[in-house]
Amino acid sequence: MSLLEVEDLEVYYETEQGPAQAVDGVSFELEEGENLGIVGESGCGKTTLAKSIIGILPDAGYINAGSINFKGDDLTEMNGAQRRRLKWEEISMIAQSAMNSLDPVYTIREQIVEAIETHRPGTGRVESNEIVTEMFELVGLDPERADDYPHQFSGGMRQRAMIAMSLALDPSLVLADEPTTALDVIMQDQILKRISQIQDEINSSMLVITHDVSVVAETCDRVIVMYAGQIAEEGPVEDIFNNPYHPYSIGLKRAFPNIRMENQDLLSIAGYPPELIDPPEGCRFAERCPMATDRCREEVPSEHEMGDLRTYCHYAEDIDQELRPYADDPETWENTVAAKNAGAQAGDD
Amino acid sequence: MGKASFVVRRSLQLVVTFWAVGTVLFGLFRLMPGDPTSYIVSSSMTPEARQAIIASYGLNEPMHIQYIKFLQNIVVLDFGQSFHSNAPVSEVIATYLPNTLVLMLTAFVLAYAAGITLGVLSGWYRGSRFERTAVIVALVARSVPTFYVGLLVLWIFGAGFGVIPMSGMTSAGTANLSFFAMITSVDFLQHLAAPALVLAYYFMGYPLLIMRSSMLEVLSEDFIDVCRAKGLKERTIMFKHAARNALLPIVTAAAIALGYAVGGSVLIETVFAWPGIGREMVRAVLRRDFPVAQGTFMVLAATIIILNFIADLAYGYLDPRVTYD
Repeated sequence: MSLLEVEDLEVYYETEQGPAQAVDGVSFELEEGENLGIVGESGCGKTTLAKSIIGILPDAGYINAGSINFKGDDLTEMNGAQRRRLKWEEISMIAQSAMNSLDPVYTIREQIVEAIETHRPGTGRVESNEIVTEMFELVGLDPERADDYPHQFSGGMRQRAMIAMSLALDPSLVLADEPTTALDVIMQDQILKRISQIQDEINSSMLVITHDVSVVAETCDRVIVMYAGQIAEEGPVEDIFNNPYHPYSIGLKRAFPNIRMENQDLLSIAGYPPELIDPPEGCRFAERCPMATDRCREEVPSEHEMGDLRTYCHYAEDIDQELRPYADDPETWENTVAAKNAGAQAGDD
Repeated sequence: MGKASFVVRRSLQLVVTFWAVGTVLFGLFRLMPGDPTSYIVSSSMTPEARQAIIASYGLNEPMHIQYIKFLQNIVVLDFGQSFHSNAPVSEVIATYLPNTLVLMLTAFVLAYAAGITLGVLSGWYRGSRFERTAVIVALVARSVPTFYVGLLVLWIFGAGFGVIPMSGMTSAGTANLSFFAMITSVDFLQHLAAPALVLAYYFMGYPLLIMRSSMLEVLSEDFIDVCRAKGLKERTIMFKHAARNALLPIVTAAAIALGYAVGGSVLIETVFAWPGIGREMVRAVLRRDFPVAQGTFMVLAATIIILNFIADLAYGYLDPRVTYD
């Protein structure tokens, strides 16, 4: 049994124009001790996915269908009190923004102790303080500074404090939503190394949500590429980065600078993700895809196993012949509906 | 810089502010049309007698001497003697100020307790019918003048149903009790209820609206998500984290509002014939009773200035991010 099994999950937001399908039919598994990355551009549903797993969807959001099985129990079937018991004790999170994820009017110690006392009411003050000290040492902070307020910490220290808090109850699963986005590159590297180290020590699983593929490369074993609320491709980190089969993953890879390739022109994929309120039929990437055919616009792609990868593309088998050899050529990416529309608009001006 | 030096510097500012207020007051009453001496001397007096009386009040001295004496007297809290009753002004203030304070503080505590609670709830339950109702109630409270609501209440419950006394602080013929015995007597509470509730309703709108919008702002912060993820109870998140952070803008607002409440007691005291300092001030101005008017003005200004000072200090205790420098 996997630690976490998400099956056909649909998370919608109510809007005045109808439900926005932020997460639409996502399935994946996460084993104990494994780190899974979820990458995708802003608005692709990765944060919504995390929020629905930990159970903090905003009021307008709701789980429309599917299940989230955690250690064999379906989280979507649980009532509020059952759910609350699991929070932090079993599933904790490292929040997106280092700056605002701690309450400014309480000291770091008070905030960590609050989590401990909420879930382990019998814990004495001395024991709680020992946990705080232990966690501060674990993340490389001076335990004497636990009585500081968040504003007395630098951004990197705050993020370490956040990590210390997230690990205070030895959770089985940590959701890290953009754990290092607010930090500079050097601090980012330190924090990521520390996270990996700690994970090896306590053997917790982690779901890393980010738009920064380098973060995933550094911390994760497997990665899911999400696009417009759906999984485009999933598999081991090396395969996704070196030999992906989904046209979106291929385009994404070429949109990031590579340290070994000098003077490499970065490609951008023309167009924008589709509206999620009334998404197009068929493949959601079709409009921006150089391989797209009428079939793509009509029929939702099913799962294709490409070695260790799961790829959601009708033409996954043809990628090696038809897209990969031309993927570095910018002209290839001009041959999409979105690029032509953009070109036509530019011509009109 | 530490808290102590901040207090010292703010205290110096306080002195300068008091001096400015005093100077404005001094000038204001001497620029007012009408001759105050006409109140204390009559045309039937001999010119010598008239001069003697004016001299006894120091009104024959040159302006700058009067000004310096005025400032000296303020320092020792001597505001002179009433032209009207001959009683020392400090005595007049001591008689009327507590009445105002009892009324205002009662109304204020009720208003802020209710307003803050309703504001927290309406921010938390955003989009609910409760929130919509609360906002309408607050807007009505803020926009209908107290004297109008006061008159309405008197008309309906006093004149109509006869359930509240029509005026004053105690019924005529009540034994002359000590202040404490008086304010704890049933008769006094019956008199207090109507003006205090009318005022409380008026004051309530402000904290309710501020608290609501402040809550909405705080609730969108990331740390609220973290609180939820920590599995804290809804009530803990609402009060201990969201409301606690949302409370910060209320503190300054409340202190300033309390100052204005004491200063603005004129209308409600007049409507309910409440023997407070606001009503006394108006009467003093109408009688051209300089010393009393100056004294009451000074006291009301002092209330506002000092409460502002307290708000500044309180803020530092509520928000650890505030530094005094």
